[in-house]
Amino acid sequence: MATNQAPRTSSPPAPSAGLWGFLAQRWELVTLAVLAIAPLVIPALGGALGGQVTNLFIYCILALALNVMVGYTGLVHLGIASFFGIGAYCLAILTVPMYPFQIGFLAAAVIAVLVTAGTGLALGAPTLRLRGDYLAIVTLGFGEVVKVTLRNLEQITGGMKGLNPVPPPGAGVTLSGIDLGKEFAIDPRWFYYLALLALAAVVVGMRRLENSRLGRALVAVREDELAAQAMGISATKVKLAAFAMSSAVAGLAGCLYAASLSTTADPNAYDFNRSIMVLCAVILGGLGSIPGTLLGVAILVGFDTVLAPWADSWIQQMNINPKGLSYLSFSGWRLAIFGVALVLVMRYRPEGLIPSRRLAAELHEGGTGS
Amino acid sequence: MKENAGPAATPLLHVDRVTVRFGGLVAVSELDLDVPEGSIVSLIGPNGAGKTTAFNCVSGIYTPSSGSVRFRGKRLERAFTPGTILRALAVGLLTGLLFAAAAVDVDRLWMAVVKRGMITGEPFTVSGAMERLRGYFRSELAIDQMAGKWRVVSADGSDVLAIKRDLGEAKLVRDALQAKVTARRTGPGTIPDATDLDLRDDGAAPVVALPPVKEEVLDRLAGGKSRIRWRGWLGLLSGLILGAAGTLAVWQRGRRSPHVVARAGISRTFQNIRLFSSMSVLENVLVGLDRTIPGGVFSMLLRTPKNRRDEAEARRQALAALEFVGLSGDANRIAGELPYGDQRRLEIARALATGAKLILLDEPAAGMNPSEAGDLAGLIERIRDRGVTVLLIEHHMNVVMRVSDRIAVLDHGTKIAEGTPAEVRRDEKVIEAYLGGEG
Repeated sequence: MATNQAPRTSSPPAPSAGLWGFLAQRWELVTLAVLAIAPLVIPALGGALGGQVTNLFIYCILALALNVMVGYTGLVHLGIASFFGIGAYCLAILTVPMYPFQIGFLAAAVIAVLVTAGTGLALGAPTLRLRGDYLAIVTLGFGEVVKVTLRNLEQITGGMKGLNPVPPPGAGVTLSGIDLGKEFAIDPRWFYYLALLALAAVVVGMRRLENSRLGRALVAVREDELAAQAMGISATKVKLAAFAMSSAVAGLAGCLYAASLSTTADPNAYDFNRSIMVLCAVILGGLGSIPGTLLGVAILVGFDTVLAPWADSWIQQMNINPKGLSYLSFSGWRLAIFGVALVLVMRYRPEGLIPSRRLAAELHEGGTGS
Repeated sequence: MKENAGPAATPLLHVDRVTVRFGGLVAVSELDLDVPEGSIVSLIGPNGAGKTTAFNCVSGIYTPSSGSVRFRGKRLERAFTPGTILRALAVGLLTGLLFAAAAVDVDRLWMAVVKRGMITGEPFTVSGAMERLRGYFRSELAIDQMAGKWRVVSADGSDVLAIKRDLGEAKLVRDALQAKVTARRTGPGTIPDATDLDLRDDGAAPVVALPPVKEEVLDRLAGGKSRIRWRGWLGLLSGLILGAAGTLAVWQRGRRSPHVVARAGISRTFQNIRLFSSMSVLENVLVGLDRTIPGGVFSMLLRTPKNRRDEAEARRQALAALEFVGLSGDANRIAGELPYGDQRRLEIARALATGAKLILLDEPAAGMNPSEAGDLAGLIERIRDRGVTVLLIEHHMNVVMRVSDRIAVLDHGTKIAEGTPAEVRRDEKVIEAYLGGEG
């Protein structure tokens, strides 16, 4: 009788079952297709806009990394930017001409990702027994420690100057007569596609994680740690896995970031502001939801890095603000709009713009746990 | 229930004189309880009698203040293996290296080993790097470059002893000064002509004038070697001790955690239902099956065929478990949406999915009407028939009296009676505990 039951109930994969799961999957494919074709159709993406959108993709990867911790596992992480930074600096150290290593982008990225995962484990192992707020403070502190360390290890990281020039990916690689390094340096679309590819890979990985044993364990630990343990799940190991995965993906984002800027920028680029920005994007979009996280980044970071500069230049062009008054420039209102938007979303849609099925249920049905 | 006679037969669960104190309050006092394999044993008593506390002791949530809990004759603790020590040492070593790196100034070490390898224009080699690394720890003088000039510097770069335009000249000065420093370290007798080296060189090599170096600088350079080694070892050792001891301490504290008990084969449900309420019903059971699904992170990310098969198999088992408790129609519903009685049955399905040999049910019939409670009693018996032993806390006397092979009665943390349902029903103390005595 169990066999009668099994095919019928399990034919749609249950964790993403129903019309919504199906649509969500389609939605991502459509978005991917549009983004893949866009540079061929929109010439602006070959210019500065291409770089901005690439940056957006990198932020998306970073936000998905944070989502593993905050969304799935329910651990508040206020220092994701530090892992972003560690990834960026690792890649830079392994590739800049200043140092003897100068290995290829791919190998350097793999090492950098492993190093960030290891750092995540090293931070997580002693601290994951802390709960909620305490862990948040630890990660906040860690973020500051990394920033200050990067600044103070001047011999290694170049201090405030950062490390540069980070060669473009594919530097020195010639593929059927095309010097990839040169192409990357000239045309931002190469980087656009690289970042898009990385983002797609991360999204696929996250989706698989969600529907896997480990993904279920992460959510179980978030929902009720004690009950999860009573099912034989080692909460510590599961949280460590979350920490390592989150750090590794953030490190990958850092690699792309450093390579796209061809510098690590100074350590302040990896400070608390960036962590909070990404956290806001994840919360705005929907904790634990992949499309939500992507949308959150598109809105928040897109607003900040694409829309605000564009609005500023438009105001200037229209000669609305000839005297340069600060309240008439769009950037002057940037943070205010940002804050109001967050307040409104949290008031009317606490589960985020595209909530995960799981979290929406949690917030609206009311938990049954104690 | 053939267990009664044989003295050799160890009970599945053996609770031996367990006492649990919270501060001054004694929640459970000297509890003895045996649960024979394949039976249903009930723990009853008025509210606050310590039943759930006893459950929490068995399932590893509390550690008893005294006494022991044995499952199949074994204490439910993580075993102390060589792996435990190795892990602690590995963590200690990592901490030690981190501390040592900080103590010997990793920034200057990097400069000495990596950057200096780049300045002379020679290709960077691993052996060269190793040589410079050794040089750093021997606190040997080195050559550095700044603003197009060559400098003879101390290993950490903090002392500049000479500045030369010519690299060859700088090297000669470095060697000569190094000889002086070494002589100072080993005592004047060991290198007899140490002072001659600075003025004369054989053959066509130019004679180099040694810059004046203050005595205290030479002393400092001579002492640098022992200083840097001392710092390095101290860092390594303190990190090693701290890391290893910390790991062991944490291991010790987590020795009897609920997941260790669960993996040994004891599963439980909770008095106040603790489902993963935002997950689907099926997923809840899949979490229970977690331990039985093989494969690591990479097979999951690559979604290998084996991983797909394992997941499909787990799903099939989960559906079978739902079928067993009568919830197969609700597999895709959100657990939190289920009616109360169904949530309790889902908890049982989840606990069964872990493959436990002993299942602890904490008031599974709470809030049920007599008909539902009757169904539940049937379910408990079917669990027993599957070969799973049941330890039950329940207030519904109909359920208890129907299913139990043995009943233990707790009052104020003490066991006041134990026996078959018929015996317990007649027991004076039990009646007094439930209805209140005159004392």
